[in-house]
Amino acid sequence: MNEVVLELQNVVKRFGANEVLRGVSLELHRHEVVCLIGASGSGKSTLLRCANMLERIDGGSISLFDQSLEDRRVDPNLVRRHIALVFQSFNLFPHLNVLDNVLLGPVYAMKRKRADVRDEALALLDRIGLADRAQEYPDRLSGGQQQRVAIVRSLAMRPSILLLDEVTSALDPSLVGEVLDLLRDLAASGTTMLIATHEMSFAKDVSHQVAYLEKGVLVEKGTPDEIFMNPTHEATRIFLERVR
Amino acid sequence: MAVSLGSTSLASGASTTLASCKATIPSEEYTKGTLTVATDDPVYSPWFVNNKPTNGKGYESALVYALANVLGIAKSHVKWAYEPFDSSYTPGTKHFDFDINEISYTGARAHAVTFSVSYYNVNQSIVALKTDKIVKDHTPAELKTYLYGDQIGTTGLAYINDYIKPTKSPRVFGTLDQAVEALQLGQIDAIVIDTPTGQYMASSQIMNAKKKLTATQVGQFPSVGEHYGLLFTKGNPLVGCINVGLQALTSDGTLAALQHKWLGIYTSVPTITP
Amino acid sequence: MSLDTDAASSDAPNLFGSRRSRLFVGRRGLAASSVSTVLLVGAIVLILFVAPGGAAFRYYFFNFHDMRVAWDGHASQGISALSHSLFTNVWMFLVSEVLVLFFGLSFAWIRISQTPVLFPVRILVTTYTDIFRGVPLLIVVYLVGDGLPALKLGFVSSQSPSIYGVVALTLTYSAYVSEVLRAGINSVPHGQLLAARSLGLSPSSTMRHIVLPQAVRTVIPPLLNDFVSLQKDTALVSVLGVIEIANAGQISASTLFNGSGLVGAALFFLALTVPMTRLTDHLIERDRAKRLAGT
Repeated sequence: MNEVVLELQNVVKRFGANEVLRGVSLELHRHEVVCLIGASGSGKSTLLRCANMLERIDGGSISLFDQSLEDRRVDPNLVRRHIALVFQSFNLFPHLNVLDNVLLGPVYAMKRKRADVRDEALALLDRIGLADRAQEYPDRLSGGQQQRVAIVRSLAMRPSILLLDEVTSALDPSLVGEVLDLLRDLAASGTTMLIATHEMSFAKDVSHQVAYLEKGVLVEKGTPDEIFMNPTHEATRIFLERVR
Repeated sequence: MAVSLGSTSLASGASTTLASCKATIPSEEYTKGTLTVATDDPVYSPWFVNNKPTNGKGYESALVYALANVLGIAKSHVKWAYEPFDSSYTPGTKHFDFDINEISYTGARAHAVTFSVSYYNVNQSIVALKTDKIVKDHTPAELKTYLYGDQIGTTGLAYINDYIKPTKSPRVFGTLDQAVEALQLGQIDAIVIDTPTGQYMASSQIMNAKKKLTATQVGQFPSVGEHYGLLFTKGNPLVGCINVGLQALTSDGTLAALQHKWLGIYTSVPTITP
Repeated sequence: MSLDTDAASSDAPNLFGSRRSRLFVGRRGLAASSVSTVLLVGAIVLILFVAPGGAAFRYYFFNFHDMRVAWDGHASQGISALSHSLFTNVWMFLVSEVLVLFFGLSFAWIRISQTPVLFPVRILVTTYTDIFRGVPLLIVVYLVGDGLPALKLGFVSSQSPSIYGVVALTLTYSAYVSEVLRAGINSVPHGQLLAARSLGLSPSSTMRHIVLPQAVRTVIPPLLNDFVSLQKDTALVSVLGVIEIANAGQISASTLFNGSGLVGAALFFLALTVPMTRLTDHLIERDRAKRLAGT
């Protein structure tokens, strides 16, 4: 088994009186793809945001490459260059064209020279077949195209881990496929990914491990076969029934 | 003290004697039976005293009551109204018979309003700090060398430009107070202003931190025809009788006496030529 | 009442609107509104000719000879030229605009920030904004113009009145503009911030490259409105004795007993502000069209 790159131990997160994560433990190994499934409000998004320090946890610990993120010396900006998060609503920057969207991170966060990054960025766009749209603004692209640009924008940072928060849920059904294809591609090339998703067949295809979250508790974790064919817990079974 | 006739015309038609006026005036008044006179608020010495036009003190207040008297209008039938200077000349109905407020006659202004004959001839004068060179040296040639300052839009400023014609452009200030301050700071040599106001500035207003008077009225210029007139709305027929009254006060010496009493200090001011 | 739609009456429902509502549509409606607009404007113009005081009104306000005198100035009457004093207004608002943008942005940034370290400063800025949005500009002009010299504080107290005017304008308009910018910054969708932070951008980089560009684009119309307002309010500095164009107009009025100079000054302000207000409207419309495209 590859080494553990991301480890969550008993992570607790509260919003006011509401305990959204109640002691979740999870390990992510290098080159591993883990899919998080569960109903809305189960804590999947919150878990991902805690992983890249957009939220601070209230209990437990998160370690990246064995370094605890709770250590005061840790700089969240540096952490986020290693763990990239892609959002459901893509959040492309509307005032920048596609190429600048992709360039922004490397140029301003990693302080790399624009000229150096440009070729890499165009190569990434080419990989998703949108190199010819590089000068256009996001509002000219379809939802599926925008989301793929968003994924590629994160990849430009060369992160070690890619977090994906229900990246197809806001898309027109006909556009979902192209995004999932990209993710399959990334999985095949060994990208370490933690994916929150509703797409069950995708999860079955692409993940090494599937984790089911319900109301902030990690109920069950196992291989796709184990979870989808033979869930151990009643709760998992009920959930899978409903989404079938 | 000669009072020059302004360029206003007497009312045409009916013969205008004091006797006939006493009969016709009530019908021409804004409020029949009452003479409504407007002026500003506040008003200052020596034109009024204690900001109370009704007390008959001050040149302009005394003049109004003398005029009423000669025209047979009882003192109790004289009412004062407030009219800020800037609305006295705008078009539209005015709520007074005439306005008295040291308003200078000019040909341009006479297009907009009607003026009475002169009730006071204005001389411009020079006010300077006692220490300034202009106090001793003020021949016409020397007068041209000084740096003057004045409030914008005043006849004093106009006099500097038209008659003194100094080599250095005069400094123009938004308010008279700013000009006075510049004088006290030595930024300008002299201010040109009408004699009575100049006299007031030199004898009471301009002083240093120790409350010592620091300015003096260097001298006054000969009259160039500038005069104050009573202001009427354009074409108001009442001006005819008022002029008759003013002429009566001139010929019987009342006007001169009033000027001597309220503005008399100025006669001691030397006259200098520009 | 039954919900049985099958049992609805066999008559087709009447789909015709009332005659009255049909009167104002289409070509007939356009003709009607054009005619009524022309009539209204015509009536207003007619009043200026027909009213008993019409001639006096037109002579007092629209006398082109006196307007020309006011424009050129008249040294011997002590009239300051409008053509000269307008530059006072122009330099005052140009300098104020730059200062207002700088301070407005700084104050907006301070108020937005969450860091506990800046808490006392935030309170100060909030108080400042409340005060200067609450006190009329005219009073601020007096307080600054009379107050600062009264302190006798060397450099601070010995400036010209127009400098104090700029100070007063800056104090007041920075408060307004900081609120507008703050609203603009708050209107940037939170997801933008999250995306930028998730890329590893620092808070200041996020503000500079992501938030501010979008915030400013959003609030350009109200910002332009505030600047038009600032341009007009330069006239208030006249109370300190500054000879700016409105003051010069008033002086020509009191010297000539004719207000055409004031109308001239008004025309200057229109020449300045109308292009900006038209631009603002154009930007608002363009943004609206863009947002609603395809809906």
